Amino acid sequence: MKAADAPLVPLQVKPKKKREPLQLSKSLRKHKLLYLMILPGFIYFVIFKYFPMGGLIISFQDYQPFLGVSESPWVGFKHFERLFTEPTFVMLLRNTLLLFAMEIVFFFPLPILLAVMLNEVRHKLFKNSIQTMIYIPHFMSWVIIVSITYVFLNVDGGVVNQILEAMGLQKISFLTSPEWLRPMYIAQIIWKEVGWSTIIYLAAITVVDTQLYEAAEMDGATRLRKMWHVTLPAIRPVIITLLILKIGNTLELGFEHMYLLLNSLNREVGEIFDTYIYTAGLKNGQLSFSTTVGLFKGLVGLILVMAANRLAKKFGEDGVY
Amino acid sequence: MIALTLGCGLLLSACSGNQSGGSAGEAPAADGKATVTWLNILHTPSPPTETVLNKIEEATNTNIEFSWIPDASKEERLNTSLASDSLADIVTLTILDNSSVRNALKAGVFWEVGPYLDEFPNLAAISPEMRTSASIDGKLYGVPMQKQVARNGVIIRKDWLDKLGLEVPRTTDELMEVAKAFTEQDPDGNGVKDTTGFMDRSDLVYGAFKTLSSYFGTPSVWSVSEDGKVTPEFESEGYIKTMDYMKQLYEGGYINKDFAVTAKTDQQQNFSQGKAGIYVGALFDSKNLLNDARGVQDNMELVLVNDITSTGNESDRAIWSTTNGVGGLLSFPRSEVKDEEELKRVLKFVNDLMSEEVYALMTYGIEGVHYTADEKKAVTITDTSLWEQEVQPLAGSRPKEPGYEIHDANPLKAEADRLIQENTEFAVLNPMFSLESPTFSSQGSELQKIITDATYKYILGKISLDDFKAAVSSWRKAGGDQIIAEYEAAYKAVNG
Repeated sequence: MKAADAPLVPLQVKPKKKREPLQLSKSLRKHKLLYLMILPGFIYFVIFKYFPMGGLIISFQDYQPFLGVSESPWVGFKHFERLFTEPTFVMLLRNTLLLFAMEIVFFFPLPILLAVMLNEVRHKLFKNSIQTMIYIPHFMSWVIIVSITYVFLNVDGGVVNQILEAMGLQKISFLTSPEWLRPMYIAQIIWKEVGWSTIIYLAAITVVDTQLYEAAEMDGATRLRKMWHVTLPAIRPVIITLLILKIGNTLELGFEHMYLLLNSLNREVGEIFDTYIYTAGLKNGQLSFSTTVGLFKGLVGLILVMAANRLAKKFGEDGVY
Repeated sequence: MIALTLGCGLLLSACSGNQSGGSAGEAPAADGKATVTWLNILHTPSPPTETVLNKIEEATNTNIEFSWIPDASKEERLNTSLASDSLADIVTLTILDNSSVRNALKAGVFWEVGPYLDEFPNLAAISPEMRTSASIDGKLYGVPMQKQVARNGVIIRKDWLDKLGLEVPRTTDELMEVAKAFTEQDPDGNGVKDTTGFMDRSDLVYGAFKTLSSYFGTPSVWSVSEDGKVTPEFESEGYIKTMDYMKQLYEGGYINKDFAVTAKTDQQQNFSQGKAGIYVGALFDSKNLLNDARGVQDNMELVLVNDITSTGNESDRAIWSTTNGVGGLLSFPRSEVKDEEELKRVLKFVNDLMSEEVYALMTYGIEGVHYTADEKKAVTITDTSLWEQEVQPLAGSRPKEPGYEIHDANPLKAEADRLIQENTEFAVLNPMFSLESPTFSSQGSELQKIITDATYKYILGKISLDDFKAAVSSWRKAGGDQIIAEYEAAYKAVNG
């Protein structure tokens, strides 16, 4: 194809730049029905996503609600300076990134593993009932999950500590020690979300061509070999896409969950951007400052997702855009 | 995301800000009553039912429309309400040190009511001290809610004391001995070491800590020396002593191990289930504690103590009072209450709420339905669960709590009321309460986290005293010094 295209290039006399607008209006006219169909979505994004972004302007002001955007004094980069010079900033960034890394390492592979395992289950009824059961935790709210953990783990009469005591071990105050916060956080996410996250992988697995498995069997592949050489490569694009999406949500660690776990003794490892924005912005009323923090968080997320996408393309995958 | 939503909300509110309001100016409803809307704080799980409300509406000749804000999310909800200008004729402001609230008050969002109070008999009776305490920059931006000045004390299981042959403690050392005995000598006699002395919750102010700190002579939040130097409470000797005391409790196991993460409801439940024998908090909690223990701990007897000191000298008695008896402000936004005439109408309504009749309705309910009263106006609640549903939610909205003839016949409640009254004499006020520090308003609660966290860590033995002092100096550096300087200037301006 490339060889055939090449001679055509010199024939294009008109400079590209001038033709573009013409092409756009032409293509608009040509595909007007298609464009009409994306219009509602386009309007949705403008009104609910882009228009509110104008509110970010208050991060350059000392915003006072009763003065409004037009009357509030402009302060330039004051809030950004405060953000980057405060010792809290390093803590927030460290906690957020660490938790994110732990989520990627410990949580992300689990649904894939579970989906592949479920796929190997031959008995249909058994498989379906397992699937239903592992979906259930997803529908519970964080409040309930954190409360359950509290009941299990507290020192005065919690089941886990009673077992530890009965085995002659030292009681552990899980809820107040900083070193237990992260494992607890990740474990709760795994418990709640692992089943639900298998859905997409299971869907991807069902479309794998069965002939591939048959061919592998002919070559004498064992079940493990089939998983490794057929199933996993087949769902690789899905895995990559989900990973990129996940990275896009890096700093979106789930406010509710962490807010419920935080207390005075584990704050140094548990305070993340979301909880900080909530306390500084909504509780203390520092609207401008917390908008600044949010803006920073959004920018970091954007950079990360672009980097991940580029990386995926480099390794020969499609990426998300 | 939060920031985006916030920005979105702000922009949208900016567009719609002018359309809201004006409900107070509407013509009276068909039944001839005017309508008052009230953005109020809810201290109970669910809002009150209509029964009592109808009676109050009759007594005040007003239709009341509540919008409730749960107490737990009051900062957030009040801030968004202020930011989006979705207020009501009356707004209950209980967090006067919050920066948005302070800014709104100073920016004149609410009416200054000082000059109008004397036109109404019940409002005129508000004492000058109360008015000063509730003022900001010398101006009163709402009707102060009058509460008891200092209501905290120690509640102890009398039956356990008797069983172990102990006296009611009068000093902190004796209290420690009692806590120790309650932990180690099996006061419930079930043969298992399953009780602790204290049952505390994750609250350094309304839990045990602050009350104990008063016993060690700690100032309330701030102290001012004679030459006008301002010092925070946590730099005082008493504060360190209190931390050591709590540390000793924790290390000995004389307090519930998880107190740093225990919620108030769990604390009270555990106490009522007989897991511990000492409760530090509001003295009137004793009545509920005993009520909840019915059927679980039937031999529970409680004794209330409010005269503990660390030295044993009567002259050292002290008990903190953070809010100086001001429970908050009932404020009237200019956007809703358009003119003086309306303001007077709403003030008249608040005035009527303070009558003995309405006070009885909001406190005890309807006679014959919720309570019975004898000729001395001593009230016995007859149906506690009905009272909890229909009356209790209203009790938090009373503009004035002390000073009525009608009273509770329950001996424990009467005793609590008596001791709380007695506390007034020994109350340690917060000298900075009505003064202004912009840094404190905007960053105070964030900075306080540094101290709160360090205090807990010290008590749990995770950091040393030097580490705590380092935390204090980082508090000073992060804005504390500025707060102190601002308070000193404000104090000088007022007191010369």
